[in-house]
Amino acid sequence: MSVAQVEAREVQLEAPSGLWSDAWRRLKHNPAAIVGFALVGIFLSIAIFAPWIAPEDPRSGDLSRLGGACCPGPSADYWFGLDQQGRDVFSRIVYGARYSLLIGIVSVSVGLSVGLVFGSIAGYFGGWIDSIIMRMTDIMLSVPGLLLAIGIVAALGQGLWQIMVAVGVTQIPIFTRLLRGSILATREADYVLAARSVGVPRRLILSAHILPNSISPVIVQGTLALATAIIDVAALGFLGLGPQDPATPEWGTMLTDTTRYLQTAPHLALIPGVAIVISVLGFNLIGDGLREALDPRFRGRG
Amino acid sequence: MLRFVVRRLLLLVPILLGLSILVFLWIRALPAGPAQSLLGERATPETIAQIEEQYGLDRPLHIQYWRYLKTVAQGDLGTTIRTRRPVTEEVKERFPATIELAMAALLFATLFGIPLGFVAAKRYGTWIDHSSLVASLIGISIPIFFLAILLKYVFAVQLGWLPTVGRISVLIDLEHPTNFYTLDALIALDFVAFWDVIKHLILPAIALGSIPLAVTARITRAAVLDVQNEDYVRTARAKGLPPRVVDIRHIFRNALLPISTIIGLQTGLLLSGAVLTETVFAFPGMGTWLVEAIRQRDYPVLQGGILFVSFVFVIVNLIVDISYALINPRIRVS
Repeated sequence: MSVAQVEAREVQLEAPSGLWSDAWRRLKHNPAAIVGFALVGIFLSIAIFAPWIAPEDPRSGDLSRLGGACCPGPSADYWFGLDQQGRDVFSRIVYGARYSLLIGIVSVSVGLSVGLVFGSIAGYFGGWIDSIIMRMTDIMLSVPGLLLAIGIVAALGQGLWQIMVAVGVTQIPIFTRLLRGSILATREADYVLAARSVGVPRRLILSAHILPNSISPVIVQGTLALATAIIDVAALGFLGLGPQDPATPEWGTMLTDTTRYLQTAPHLALIPGVAIVISVLGFNLIGDGLREALDPRFRGRG
Repeated sequence: MLRFVVRRLLLLVPILLGLSILVFLWIRALPAGPAQSLLGERATPETIAQIEEQYGLDRPLHIQYWRYLKTVAQGDLGTTIRTRRPVTEEVKERFPATIELAMAALLFATLFGIPLGFVAAKRYGTWIDHSSLVASLIGISIPIFFLAILLKYVFAVQLGWLPTVGRISVLIDLEHPTNFYTLDALIALDFVAFWDVIKHLILPAIALGSIPLAVTARITRAAVLDVQNEDYVRTARAKGLPPRVVDIRHIFRNALLPISTIIGLQTGLLLSGAVLTETVFAFPGMGTWLVEAIRQRDYPVLQGGILFVSFVFVIVNLIVDISYALINPRIRVS
């Protein structure tokens, strides 16, 4: 073998260890991230298989089962007890996973996609376009997140779609700024200069060279944003701005009136709350693990 | 330095204008229409006509905006629907309550967060470090309102140690010259009332302070780990300074910079969180006021309240930015 062939082989041997396989390897050795994946896995399967898991209809209850007292706690028949309308809390929690997941994913997608577009435009073109977009994010960030969401729900009216839009909009400026900063950092990289010098069109440089290399902080933020979105949606529900139909088994909405029954039926508050904490914790653990795994400063270790 | 401050002040202008445009357009985007929204369900054709006249609702949008801006600049945020009082008057009663709560929460967060993060960094890699990381992660995963309900259930309902709702016991008679009840009690030299107010603050402050606590602890840990490996720390150790002196004078003082920035950045979180905490504890601040306004469709309150809270938020951020520049010698020089 000539020296050149040996070198070529070495290069090939190193090639498969890209950013992602590296990250995956480190993620597998991070116990916290594994716990996160397990929690999110459970959450996802409950959401997907809800109709098969839930023993009862989450929307309709039977007041006669309450026996005049509010409210029977966990028992062999009703694992998580009954609520003030005589509905099975376990079934409501199971279906609630669907709502949390659906609203979380859609609202983060709204924030992410709009933020992606504005962020890449601002970062790539710079100049006055950048200034205008940045001032817009400044203005949006100057309204505290929950108040912005409340204002949007008030303007659009209550309902599932409105909540998703409201929570999504509050996340737009965060993703916009994140992507812009990340693009500004990669824009000056040598490989971008190389692509430009051989005449690659602007749009192609952006989509093929800059975006893929600026995306890892966005993925981390996306995971953490899912956690925030679940909390924000539950907060809107808790404030009574949840889905219009109060029978909807949304976790935050389930917590609304429970302080009234704290003395007699604490399970009504505890169970939905713990469900929120577990799913949020899962996404936070994954997000934290991803951040460490994708951080180039840690590359090659672990 | 002066140029930096002037630049930041100039940046404030487009943000505040944008904010006012946002709120102005919002009231016009409401399903009921602006006049009806500002008057509520009791509106009569005459009062609607009067409001339309006052705000020039038949005029072009930019003229309407100009009028709106002029009234707001004069400190007029409109009249509430529920009580028919000026919005600013209710803000004067409600806002001190929220500030008092937010300050108490911040105090709790820094008092416990900084030592916690410092100890975790000093014991880097041990079980103390790991468990403090896990605890802070769980801390940021608990929704504020759920933590508030839990605290209320355990310490107020079950144990009965602390009051469940409000700012002060109904039986206590106290004048309110400042509406900061702690100050009011001190002014009156009424220590029974003071202790009562503090007792009402404890649980809401812990609930509201939990996330800032977790964030402060994490940042303190990271900052101390960063500073610990600096050359000047090694030099200080090498010349034989006692470890505690190095900890305080070299490590802690330099780590304080990122910590103070992060604490400043918690304002938005505190203002959002106050809405939820106050709701659980029926604490009569801005949060419960705004939530009542949503339930009653009191749009003037929402309009004025959101504008006011955002204004405060922007100003606080400005102060944080400027004071950051003041304490950071690297920025001060350039």
